[in-house]
Amino acid sequence: MSLTLQLSMVIAELIYFGMIFYFLKKKMLSIKYSLLWLVFGVVMVVFTAFPVLFWRFMGLFGVESPMNGLFSILLFFVFTIIMSLTAIVSRQSERIRALVQSQALLEERIRRLEDKE
Amino acid sequence: MRVLVIIPSYNEQSSIRATVNELREQAPDVDILAVNDCSSDSTQAILTELKVRHLRLPVNLGIGGAVQAGYKFADLNGYDIAVQLDADGQHDPKYIKDLIAPIEAGEADLVTGSRFIEKEGFQTSGMRRFGIKLLNGLIHLVCGVKVTDATSGFRAVSRRLIVIYSGEYPTDYPEPEAIVMAKMNGMRIREIPVVMRDRTGGRSSIRLINSIYYMIKVSIAIVLRRIQ
Repeated sequence: MSLTLQLSMVIAELIYFGMIFYFLKKKMLSIKYSLLWLVFGVVMVVFTAFPVLFWRFMGLFGVESPMNGLFSILLFFVFTIIMSLTAIVSRQSERIRALVQSQALLEERIRRLEDKE
Repeated sequence: MRVLVIIPSYNEQSSIRATVNELREQAPDVDILAVNDCSSDSTQAILTELKVRHLRLPVNLGIGGAVQAGYKFADLNGYDIAVQLDADGQHDPKYIKDLIAPIEAGEADLVTGSRFIEKEGFQTSGMRRFGIKLLNGLIHLVCGVKVTDATSGFRAVSRRLIVIYSGEYPTDYPEPEAIVMAKMNGMRIREIPVVMRDRTGGRSSIRLINSIYYMIKVSIAIVLRRIQ
């Protein structure tokens, strides 16, 4: 890995962590969901600091060109995040449904009680 | 036994009045609960004017969420039997007594009304009948239940199943999946012949563009129910 590439990656990682930190500070991101992002960031930092480690790691999986390996990792990571987002959305829509129903049931009950008065 | 008729209603201004009036005439001893699934037309005004008991969902949940709200109401208020009836006039209230009879006799927990047993009345298009046949077959394959009209939304449910449905009910196109769910919970399922009419208002929630999506989604849902 060339020094230029290493430097570019450091800058990218700084922006990356800066964004996570900003979101966490502004409470736009819950700690729970930031963990996956943080773990990924740390992995990238380790690979930037010790490129040899990355080369070896890629070799383990039979990847011949490390850059292709990098793209594969990125894709895998992005898919994981998207899938977990879909899972979160599904669970939230379940919860919203339950809330909407109980709100409607309470509203009907209030109407009925008010009519009695 | 206390019977609640649940009418899920989404933009049914052209038919809801006739449906409620007919129901009041034909089945005076049942309670009615309309569930207004956040209609954007005058459905709400008509429900208020008719003084029919109803739930107002603050956001649109779709048919599954609306029907489930009705089951929750039935559960909370201790009803013995809940009947689902479409607001669009397809379902003739005179069959309600046939639907609830097997439950009253303690012989079934889910009774669905099928238009394909005696093949009378509105039979829908050939393409739809084919789709329904596929779903009937799939349901039979995964859980051994024989139905001829898996998509029928005209059905009666026992107290035991009301409790189950109020805890969990399928989301988008719930009817076929709800049958499998009932079976997987050990419920007894029966089908009776009914004559359905062509809808007087509104339109089917299953339109041509959506049919393929519908078939795939419901098939996956049925199989998932089996392995869950």
